Parts: sequence; C-alpha cells; structure tokens
Amino acid sequence: MKIRKKYLFYILAFTSSIIAALVSAVDATISSIVITDPWIFSLSCFLVGIIISLAISLLLSIPVKGYSLGSKIIDPSFKRLRLLKREEIKYHLLAGMGNAVLTIGYLSLLSILGDPSVVLPFSQIVILYLLALESITEKNMPTLTEIQSSVTVTFGAILGSISLTGEINIESLAIVFLIINPAWCVFSIYQRKLKLMRINGRRNDAINIRFWNVVFACIFTAILVLLHDFLMNTTYLTAGIAASINHFKWVSLTMGLTFFSYVFYIRALGIGKASITQAVRASTVFFTIPFSLLIAHLNIIPPFSTDPVMILLKFIGIVLVVLGIVSFALTLVKAYIFITAKTGIPIEETLEKIWDIPGVTSVAVTTGQYDFIVKIRTRTLVKGYERIIRRLEGIEGIKDYKWQSILKEWEEI
Amino acid sequence: MIKAYILTTLQPGKSDSAVDEMRKIKNVDSISIVAGEYDVILRVQVKSLENLMKLTNKLQMIDGIKRTTTQVIEKEITL
Repeated sequence: MKIRKKYLFYILAFTSSIIAALVSAVDATISSIVITDPWIFSLSCFLVGIIISLAISLLLSIPVKGYSLGSKIIDPSFKRLRLLKREEIKYHLLAGMGNAVLTIGYLSLLSILGDPSVVLPFSQIVILYLLALESITEKNMPTLTEIQSSVTVTFGAILGSISLTGEINIESLAIVFLIINPAWCVFSIYQRKLKLMRINGRRNDAINIRFWNVVFACIFTAILVLLHDFLMNTTYLTAGIAASINHFKWVSLTMGLTFFSYVFYIRALGIGKASITQAVRASTVFFTIPFSLLIAHLNIIPPFSTDPVMILLKFIGIVLVVLGIVSFALTLVKAYIFITAKTGIPIEETLEKIWDIPGVTSVAVTTGQYDFIVKIRTRTLVKGYERIIRRLEGIEGIKDYKWQSILKEWEEI
Repeated sequence: MIKAYILTTLQPGKSDSAVDEMRKIKNVDSISIVAGEYDVILRVQVKSLENLMKLTNKLQMIDGIKRTTTQVIEKEITL
C-alpha cells in the first residue's frame, strides 16, 4: 500500500522528536543524579546500547505470517538482523565516529547546563551546516526560501535556548558549534547515505543501520575514552564499564527510547533531505518544555524563573522555529522532463551534461518514445525555468523536451 | 532488476478510482499525477521482462486507463 510520502515523513520525524524530548529529560535526570561525568555516561550508554539494541533488533526479527515483526510495525524494508556488507562499512565508520563525538559533546553540555530545554535548541543550528553541505554534495544551491527558513529556525533556536534561569555560557556555545553540530552533520549525512543504499535488491533498513551504528559508536567512544585516560591520567574506561553494570536499568531506559527515536529519524532521512528532516525534528524544542517543567518540579534541575520577559523570548523562539519549519515544507516543486535526443551525438555525453544541471535528482536513459526521463526538484517554478530549462536548451544533444509538473505523488517507502 | 517508467493516459472523470487501483499493485516504486501530455507516471521495478509484461497487463485491466507507454531504463544516475 502506498501512502503520500509527505505524510509518512512528518509522522516519522515528529514521533522521533517526541521520543527525543523524552530521552533528553531521562538523560538530564541520569546526568544530574546517577552518572554525573559525561565521559563515563557516554561509554556506558553505548555499552548498554549494544545489548539493548541487539535485544530489540532480535525481537523485531521474529517472523509473523512470513514477515518480520519489525517490517510490520517500523520499517517495511527490514527482514532480520544481518551482518554488514562490505560497501556499508565505510559509511558506518563515519556515522559511528559522528555519533560517538556527538554523544560525548551532548552529555558534556547537559552536565554544564542541566536543563534539556536549553540544550536541545542549540543543536538545531545544525540545519545551517547541513544546508551548506547539501549545496556542495547535492549540487543544489539553497534558494531564498531555504535560506529564509533556516535563518528563522536558527534565530528561533537561539531565542528558545535562552535559559529560564537567565544564564548563557560561552563554553557550552563552543561545544555546540565546534563539536556537537559538525559531528551531527557527519552522523546524519552518512546515515542518510546508508538508508538510500540497496542491500540484496531491497532498500537498506533503519533497524540494522541503528544497531550497527551503536556498535561502531561504542568502538569509537571506547577509543576516545582510552585516549582521555592516557592523556589526562583518568580511569574513565573502568568507571564506564562499572557504571554500565551498576546503573544498567537507567541507561537501558534511555538507550531503549533512543533506539526508537533514531530508527524513526533514519526512516525519515530516507524520505526527505537531511536539512528538511532536521528542520522538522527541530520541533523537539517544543516537546522538551513539558518534560523540563516536570523534572524541575521534581527538583532534579534548578527551578525556572517566572520573569515574563524570559518566558516571552522563549515563546517567540519556539514560534520562529515552527514557522521556519512550515515554510520549508510548503515550497517544493517537482517535475518530470521527457527528452528526445539528436542523433550523431553520444548519449553518454548528453547524460553527463543533463546530470550537471542543478536541481536534477535523477536522469534515466530509456528505450521507447523518449531517450531520457529526467526528474527535477526546485523551490519555485521561476527557478525551474532559470536554472533548469535554460541550461537544458543549451545542451547540443537535445532535440526536444516536454515538461510534466508533478501535482501529487505516492511512493513505496 | 529491470526498472521502467510507465506513462499512462486516463479517461476523464476516472482518475481517482484508477489511482486507487494503481496503489494496490506491487513492485510500483512511485506514482505521480502529472499535468501535461500524460496523466499518471509510474516508476516500477521488476525481476524480469515477463514480470514487466504482467505488471503492464494488470495496469491495462484497470478501468479508466486509456493508454500506457512503457519506457525501460537502460542506465540511470540518481542522487
């Protein structure tokens, strides 16, 4: 059964956000009362994470009426937990490294700031990094709308991240901009590449990607902790292993929830661009507030200020984040272009020239009435004319073309 | 694996029911309603040419589909 890709994308990204908000509250509780050191907490997260992810993945591999449980409830591409293919390993290495650095950075930030509703909005600025990277890797210059929406989300996130206790911390800003956000970019770009791969003739599944990501992240975290122990004369490695055993219940709670948050996030990544998925996931900022209020009420983190100016600023920040996300989502034009080629000019040459046009997402050489079927994506029709049609008309090997705007689309995901 | 685009023209007034039927067919990667010479473009992925014929046959059995044109993909570059 096919459903509108758009709806599934939003359901997945929002579900992932709500779970992520819950996870951040659990993390704040653990780092404030159970495991206070971020290095020890990171290592124990991944050690326990392997066990929890393995248990959940095996449970989801149970066959029910010929299909696995995981394929019925989470990702239709999932068959069972499997070993990695050689072509996946390099992406897993990079994504695992990203996740390890990201987790250590995030937990350090949490131990400095305490309140998750302050920590999370900062990381939303990662959308700017992603947009810049997509412009390079997907040969797609960001349009005015994309820049406008990203700036709105960013300013919203900055306002939303103002601590209600009124503090702003330079050390925490450095951690966000130099460690967490670049690591998050590496992590999400390579997870997206993994999700778009085809393994044994079918789409790669989110459950295997998550399990193997935890395994690689654990290896990298252990290496980083060992380096820290060696350079700083600490004993975080043994402390991390001890914390995994002593506080297994707490850490398994956060890792179990994180597993589902990421599985939904990876599936959403397979559907939309990394920056758009990130924009939707920015709504975590919104969902964190009730959880922050709850843990402040329980005296786990310092209570909030009731200064109306602070509350107003935070509220404006959240409204800006939501507005940025909505304007991102509402502006996308897709179309097919059917092309007839001139004889006497090599097909490969024309293919390369079409592929070089910004906004082209796929070019197929076909048999039949048309020689090429091209799929394009643009933010506005004007840009479609300026950037695509003009370039297309300049290609020597093209005899004729027909533009077919896509009005509505369903995809098998 | 054989990948193809199937370009279809529909009878006026029957597009909703025809698209509903198309969404039930297996091995269809995407269904796009378009404005222009054609009405719906399907992207399919099948194991053999025989399966492609079966799929095209299924499509042609749907009430409301006037004409189908199949374009088999020989080479593709995609993001």
